Amino acid sequence: MGNNQLALENETDMPSEAVAAERYFVRLNFSERVQHVIFAGCFFVLVITGFMLKLPESFLAVLGDAGDVLFRYRRLLHRSAGTLMILVGAYHLYYLLLKPAGRRWLFDMLPRFKDLKDMRDNLLYFFNIKKEPPEFDRFCYKHKIEYGALIVGTTIMSLTGIILWTQYGWNKFIVDIAALVHGMEAILACLAIMIWHFYEIHFRPHKSPLDDLWITGVISEAEMKEEYMLHYKKIMNDPELQKIFIKGRAGEK
Amino acid sequence: MLPVNLNNIRSFILAVILLLLTPAAAVFSQSDTRADTENCLLCHRYPNMGRYDESGQKRVYYVNAQNYARSVHGKIKCKNCHIGLDRIPHTDVKKVDCATQCHIKEPSTNLEFSHANMIQKYEASVHGRGTPENPKPYPEDLPTCKDCHDNRMYNSFDGQWGLSAAMFNETLARCLGCHVKEKWAQDFYSHFTHRMRKRRAPAEVVRLCTRCHEDRNKMARHGIESIETFKDTFHWIEIKFGVKNAPDCISCHVPLGYATHDIRPRTDPISPINERNRVQTCSNQGGVQVCHPAAKAKFATGRVHAYGTKAQMLAGKVDKEFDDLELGRVLERAEVDISPEELFRFKVLQLIKLIYKIMIGGTILFMGLHQWLDFLSAKRKKRSSP
Repeated sequence: MGNNQLALENETDMPSEAVAAERYFVRLNFSERVQHVIFAGCFFVLVITGFMLKLPESFLAVLGDAGDVLFRYRRLLHRSAGTLMILVGAYHLYYLLLKPAGRRWLFDMLPRFKDLKDMRDNLLYFFNIKKEPPEFDRFCYKHKIEYGALIVGTTIMSLTGIILWTQYGWNKFIVDIAALVHGMEAILACLAIMIWHFYEIHFRPHKSPLDDLWITGVISEAEMKEEYMLHYKKIMNDPELQKIFIKGRAGEK
Repeated sequence: MLPVNLNNIRSFILAVILLLLTPAAAVFSQSDTRADTENCLLCHRYPNMGRYDESGQKRVYYVNAQNYARSVHGKIKCKNCHIGLDRIPHTDVKKVDCATQCHIKEPSTNLEFSHANMIQKYEASVHGRGTPENPKPYPEDLPTCKDCHDNRMYNSFDGQWGLSAAMFNETLARCLGCHVKEKWAQDFYSHFTHRMRKRRAPAEVVRLCTRCHEDRNKMARHGIESIETFKDTFHWIEIKFGVKNAPDCISCHVPLGYATHDIRPRTDPISPINERNRVQTCSNQGGVQVCHPAAKAKFATGRVHAYGTKAQMLAGKVDKEFDDLELGRVLERAEVDISPEELFRFKVLQLIKLIYKIMIGGTILFMGLHQWLDFLSAKRKKRSSP
């Protein structure tokens, strides 16, 4: 696929044998990457246009008449991005239930007892009590926590956002609850994304300054072994999984 | 020695000064000033004229003739409102009473004009002083005419019509086709257009009202709460952004069909914020600004300002800023104003807020700690591997 080209571009000066031997492991397929990009784009627009409401009066006073225009575009952008995010969410649900890749994603993402054990072991590894971190499957407890929070958060934000948008049809008390929850959940979501997700893609020592996984969708074999050993072993033992998860050079399966 | 009367000396010096200044009166024959038939400007034209009163407050007695002529009272003689003033220096001056009859004819009745009827309504409103039998406490806290009517005389009336100076010029030219006296036409035009749009921008209205209504202690003396919670509403956000016709205090408390001088408490059945009038107030059908045209009864029932001191008190949070007397007054009013249902709503909202605060704190603490440990272990691994 063309996207693999991106991953390989910076390695064109390597000896051809080495490139040929290089194998890449799929973490996000094309559909998932598109879903992620649209969702992330909406998220940024929503955060900016949402928290704009908290801008201080002194700052807005400087804008003068431009404030009125800004406010109207802010509303339009916020609602457009919100609608698009809901649509992506709905498509994701369809993807999870009706597409084979989506069903596999859902199955791999389901919480298991092993996740608790992994978390305990990983924390012990952090404290240097265990010498090795646990072997993670396709999705580790960190991903599952984040994905779960994303599903719950998006649902809450969508529902409360729709209530606020259609406020006339609701009891004022419901509107008040929706406004409060929409604001608080926004703070929670933003901080969680900043601390949890941004760390994963920006600040982890080998990811800095920005992980390119969201564009390429693949990681190297070395990283696969390092991060998702259990999944790596499963793939290596199953030719069917190899067809899905292993990509060779550009254009090769 | 001859007995010396200081008052006589003072009067003599003043008389000499006035005599010397007499030629200056001719200066006032400018086109946009009134004929000063009472000759008050002889002294009051000097910008430095004033004194510090007994309380140390600076009192300015200067009157800018041009700006006075352009003001809402520009056609009225000084002595129509400033009763007394027969002696110089003015030792017999009385405080201006806006209910005084001011010798200009009110055109619809041809009777002498007075603001008395307006003041009568005002005194019966929430801002009035009550009745002689039932006066309100702390009358010095209550706003008087000038607290709101600051009569910004320094504003020219250019652009009174929809903020357009061009519109002013064009319309006035049409008036002058029939009404030959330009000054008269300007006054008439100004009088009408002044009332055809809101004089103050929404943010200015909020500033004006909050000058008193955000003073927690002053409000508590009258058993009401500070309205700082208005700034938690979406209405305020629109004002903050400078949205045209954003909903300010006047929009809901004096909507279409109501008068600013006759603001009533929420419990009064004729108040626009009384439950029974809310749907019309929120929608403001027929007004220039139709705010929530689709408002239904269930939407128009709850509180617009966020819950403030009164709800907090009923929920058991006592405000330590107030003394016992003030606390008692607010609590007494709180029991009338906040129904058990509203108190329940307030508690639910508070609970949701608390849950979120705990959730945010807990989540961030866990996540921050986890990622920090991850970072440390990654560094440790890097150090240990060659």
